[in-house]
Amino acid sequence: MARRAPPSFLGLFLPFHAENRFAWPSAAFIALAPLILAALAAASQPRAVQSAARVVTDEIGRRVVVPAEIRRVVSLAPNVTETLYALGVEAKIAGITDFTDLPAGAAPKPSVGEPLEPSLERIAALRPDLVFVAGTINRRETMESLSRLGIPVYATDPHTARETLASIRDIAAVLGVADAGEELAARLEARLDAVRARLAGVAPKRVLFVVWEDPLITTGPGTFIADALRWAGAVSVVNVAEDWPRISLEEVVRQQPDDVILTATHTGASPEFARTLEKRPGWRDLDAVREGRVLVVSDAINRPSPALVDVIEQLARELHPAAFASVQSPPKGGRWLR
Amino acid sequence: MAPLTLRRVVSVTLLLALVLVGVAVVSLRLGAVSISTHGLGSCLVAAASGRTEYVTTDCRMIVLGLRLPRMLLALLVGGALSVAGAGFQALLRNPLADPYVLGVSSGAALGAIFALLAQPRTSLATMGAAFAGALLTVAAVYFLGRRGGQLDSFTLLLAGVITASFFSAVIMFLLASLPGRDLRGMAFWLMGDLSSPLPVRLAWLFLVTLLAMGAVYSTSADLNLLAGGEQEAMHLGVNVGRVKVVVYLAGSLLTALAVSVSGAIGYIGLLVPHVMRMLFGSDYRLLIPASALGGAIALIIADTLARTVVAPTELPVGAMTAIAGAPVFIYLLRRRMG
Repeated sequence: MARRAPPSFLGLFLPFHAENRFAWPSAAFIALAPLILAALAAASQPRAVQSAARVVTDEIGRRVVVPAEIRRVVSLAPNVTETLYALGVEAKIAGITDFTDLPAGAAPKPSVGEPLEPSLERIAALRPDLVFVAGTINRRETMESLSRLGIPVYATDPHTARETLASIRDIAAVLGVADAGEELAARLEARLDAVRARLAGVAPKRVLFVVWEDPLITTGPGTFIADALRWAGAVSVVNVAEDWPRISLEEVVRQQPDDVILTATHTGASPEFARTLEKRPGWRDLDAVREGRVLVVSDAINRPSPALVDVIEQLARELHPAAFASVQSPPKGGRWLR
Repeated sequence: MAPLTLRRVVSVTLLLALVLVGVAVVSLRLGAVSISTHGLGSCLVAAASGRTEYVTTDCRMIVLGLRLPRMLLALLVGGALSVAGAGFQALLRNPLADPYVLGVSSGAALGAIFALLAQPRTSLATMGAAFAGALLTVAAVYFLGRRGGQLDSFTLLLAGVITASFFSAVIMFLLASLPGRDLRGMAFWLMGDLSSPLPVRLAWLFLVTLLAMGAVYSTSADLNLLAGGEQEAMHLGVNVGRVKVVVYLAGSLLTALAVSVSGAIGYIGLLVPHVMRMLFGSDYRLLIPASALGGAIALIIADTLARTVVAPTELPVGAMTAIAGAPVFIYLLRRRMG
């Protein structure tokens, strides 16, 4: 067994010593394997067959080649799916993801899995003309994999309510229903403008928006939620540049927000849950909690879809009842009716 | 175990190769969309012989576009991690050694995070940075692990463990500063995931991997002697210093490649060499090829499960190996002792 090894590191590149009599059979096997694999790998390079018709630029600046007429789409983002329903193009939807709330009464659609790890196979098998993703939800790898298969991917990327409206127009234009998109966006825009008009001159409420209650995580000024809050006449009591700051309850107690806002599904919050806050240390020291100014809003507040405008309207009404009551029942004697 | 004979090396290698082919066929058939063995066979034959007109769309997209590249990547990564694990266990004379014990995965993760923090983000940048991070760690640990100009097993182990824990601390710090959308990608990466598309040709990875495996294999007769102690091996004529450098560099290269294409997939590199040792004895001339094939088999099975157990959603394969790894290991250990 004893033998002299070569003096240099050449052994790294000349793997097999003639003296090791077991080496050669294994070497032969190892040498055969790559030949087979190389053939398979070469065959696996997808050859995209494009019946190219249009080139569009998506919302993150990618150039996407899409067929002239789009008959089948897969939406990998629940908010885009909602938009597609609102546009009335549900007949084109071939696949959606888990966690999508379809409109009441809508026929079920096949799911391709969760937005973060969808089944690429399912998507491919649905033969979509186009796949919609959301830049803030889906993974870059998913987009790349689909593009490699020759499936066009259109990325939406709205970060504010205004951009959500623009995105609705974009999606409609890609699908060839620009008129429906324009109509929907204009309607939503009018409702947003109406809220803004009501709140003109009204001081925004200082709120604590609870993204997560333990540990307490709230929203910074640069997020989609912060933009929605501004539309609804609210501003976070926590002024930190970070997007999702983790803050201490002490700081919140010191700031004493006017209102506490919880989201329906994120924290599992319900009106009952809101009431339990009254018994919890720290929380019970908040005037807003003691006096019942705890609002539970739909998680659509974090979703760039038409439902966002509903949430903004509801929230604005809850936070500023005076501004909204004024139109239906003009102030007489300084009393508002709720 | 009976002494190793050429017949046994060939028969065990062929047996494992047959199992590998069987597992590969099952893996190509199973998934969110099921494909018959006949359909799979005609698809592969048509693709390999270049008759693209006989390749169906399902075959082109799902088998050739998605499953085959992923299966080949699992084969490659599983083999690489297992050979690296077997090599490190021999080099460090420590049964707990795995490919990550010397800090390679932490270095790669650190590189990937830096790439994510820097713009623009492409998968080539992430993979390249991960590979560079892994190689830099390998170099740092190599110089830290020398004593008196020689690579010292115990100094090397300590240097690797310390480097890994230091990098982990830096990673935790950086993760806290990553925006949410990048965190998601990073979380998948840290868990180990084979679904991300490769920015480089698979064939190159195969070539480098096989060279590095060959380098480890070239030392297998010496590793047998090294198991009895460094002094003893030296007296038997083994150039211990050279063997250690070759195993360290080749093992690290294998790990760096695996980690940079798939993230840190746990347990394969620790478990497979031990299982192979229990099944076929601890002669490295058989153990290394057996580990290469066994690792490929194990990771293909794990990835097939990851794709199918909660279909259509896909799990990161690292979650699968971590869940299945420990119980399988304990079972085998108890059975062998009992």
